[in-house]
Amino acid sequence: MDTTYADSFIVEGKLSLPYQYFAGRTGSKFIISLRDSKKILGVRCNTCNKVFVPPRSTCERCFADLTQSWVELKDTGVVTGFTVIRYEEPHQPVKPPYILGMILLDGADTPFPHIVKGVPISQMKTGLRVKAVFAKKTTSTIRDIDHFLVDESQKIEIGYTYDELEIGMAATFTKTITETDVYLFAGISGDFNPMHLNEEFAKKTPFGTRIAHGALPQCLIAPVLGMKMPGLGTVALEITTRFRAPTYFGDTITARAEVVEKIEAKRWVRMALTWTNQHGKLVAEGAALVIPPTPLS
Amino acid sequence: MRKNRNVGIVGVGQSVFSSHREEVNQPEMIHEAVVEALQMAGITMADVDCVVHGNMELFEMVHQPDLWHTIGTGAWGKETLRITTGGTTGATLVAAADHLVASGLHDIVLAIGFEKLQEGHTTGGITNMADPLWGRQLQTGALTGMTAAAIIDEFGAERARKAAMTYRILMDKHAMKNEKAHRRLGLEFDQADELAVNSPALVGELRMIHMCSQSDGACAMIFASEETAKQLCPQPAWIRDHITVHREEMFCIFGNAPVLSTHRYAAQKLFARNGITDPLSQIDVFEMYDPSSWWGIDWLREFLMLEGDAHIRMVENHDIAIEGKFPVNPSGGVIASNPIGATAMVRVAEAALQIMGKAGQHQVPKPVNQAMASGFGGTMWTVLFLLTRDIPAMG
Ligand SMILES: [Zn+2]
Repeated sequence: MDTTYADSFIVEGKLSLPYQYFAGRTGSKFIISLRDSKKILGVRCNTCNKVFVPPRSTCERCFADLTQSWVELKDTGVVTGFTVIRYEEPHQPVKPPYILGMILLDGADTPFPHIVKGVPISQMKTGLRVKAVFAKKTTSTIRDIDHFLVDESQKIEIGYTYDELEIGMAATFTKTITETDVYLFAGISGDFNPMHLNEEFAKKTPFGTRIAHGALPQCLIAPVLGMKMPGLGTVALEITTRFRAPTYFGDTITARAEVVEKIEAKRWVRMALTWTNQHGKLVAEGAALVIPPTPLS
Repeated sequence: MRKNRNVGIVGVGQSVFSSHREEVNQPEMIHEAVVEALQMAGITMADVDCVVHGNMELFEMVHQPDLWHTIGTGAWGKETLRITTGGTTGATLVAAADHLVASGLHDIVLAIGFEKLQEGHTTGGITNMADPLWGRQLQTGALTGMTAAAIIDEFGAERARKAAMTYRILMDKHAMKNEKAHRRLGLEFDQADELAVNSPALVGELRMIHMCSQSDGACAMIFASEETAKQLCPQPAWIRDHITVHREEMFCIFGNAPVLSTHRYAAQKLFARNGITDPLSQIDVFEMYDPSSWWGIDWLREFLMLEGDAHIRMVENHDIAIEGKFPVNPSGGVIASNPIGATAMVRVAEAALQIMGKAGQHQVPKPVNQAMASGFGGTMWTVLFLLTRDIPAMG
């Protein structure tokens, strides 16, 4: 059946319906406590032992009167669910995009919705601990809690996991090797070879001047593997190095690691390593076998 | 109406009605009525099988209010039904509860009608949804002066105006006996002339004093099967019969041609099938949905199938007073309290209280064996109930 009809006439209409509602005695006490003492109140049902936030005057489960059993809650809690608001409407409390989380306060049994800040949307997840941030100016609404801020201390960052790593992913670290570095490294390693420390001695060697310990540029791969690729939480199983050229004082060395093999059976990763100087000359090359970080519980 | 089994009203609860109930939110206000109804029935929520919930859709700007209201209704974990049929919602709730119990689906049903008109924008909703230039077969809004004009045409301005004020003052005197009523003004008959002139005009001859209020309030009623009702209550109010009648257009689409009102049509049908030939003697009290004094007068004629000026004389002679020959709205009626989604239910609830003998200060001073209650809504909806003291015969 053809349902199109080009001449269809449209009657336009518009309803504008402002409204308001009473919070009632119980709801008002909750708001007043937020406004005047920055305290979040709930009610406990003495029959089923549930703590409701925001407070309500009856427990719908056991029909008990809750208006006399107030409890004060902590301003901390956990996000039990969330959504990201991306569309814009005039009634929204803040400009999108923003995160609306279900916040279960410590000591409460019922989560309630509020704005969550302090975490990138891409990293938002349930289970994050949050703390109420009260508004500087009261509006006598639930927005006297301006938002809930994600607790920084729980943000445990890890590097790329095995599943996230792909062949060809790479990272570098670059540093200029100074005389100070060499002397400190001599102290750390106990290698006081005059090739590194005695200029007059070094003049008589094939290099004609002091050079850095080979292990000094070599160890610049550690910040690559441990902090960048795969990154935080990586365990190195094996590092092999073939030195190709000396590192002179003042040389700027770039250490680079690239994923070349994923060993599925062990969930290990093999990395190709290179060290180059400021002239692009290959100082050393090698390989590493690492265990990438695993998600922490 | 053929019934599977009889249904008795065993509990009635009402919140206090007021222009605004600022100390309670919606579920809290409903809870007041629910608790009172449970107490009267001597049961707890655990005994209730099903909750029927109703109000005017979006009058409080809450989508699916029955979900939020569970906190106060006790509907958690129970079967529930939401009903919204405009002004008749309250009476339709009673009809639905009756069906649910009479059918055998449930033994005990709790019905709740509520409205918190102060929180919404009632007139904005019902008046602005009509398109004044495009009929849409829809007329909305309760503010109309047409009935006043018609009564004045028929009986003359002086007699008509006086009758409207007499009706109004009688209703206020009833409301003064009902502590839960919203408007209790303490009017006296010697104020009639002054009020008829000085009360603000709304539409034509319809003045503020004639018009019903906008109220916050809730009503709850408990319905039980015959067997259960007998166990719970020494004198339930039995639902004998009810009828729902509506027509799409408010007025005759052919112009001023005489039209059979839904009220008269409903009464004719209901009386015929229940053997009522003389309603004035066979019915002991009538709780009528009276949105204004003018409609109150006019609708007496329709519901009681009166002719000529019999309805005007009933008002003039104070027959409709609580102690009169045919008491109408001992509660004060809709003019005193109008929480819309509850209003039509309150009519049935008040009729039930009169049968049960539990109307307190506004109990009519004579035996009430049969009571009638009506609900009204736009466009032209009528719901009419007959309640009895004796268990209706199964037919
Ligand atoms: Zn409880």
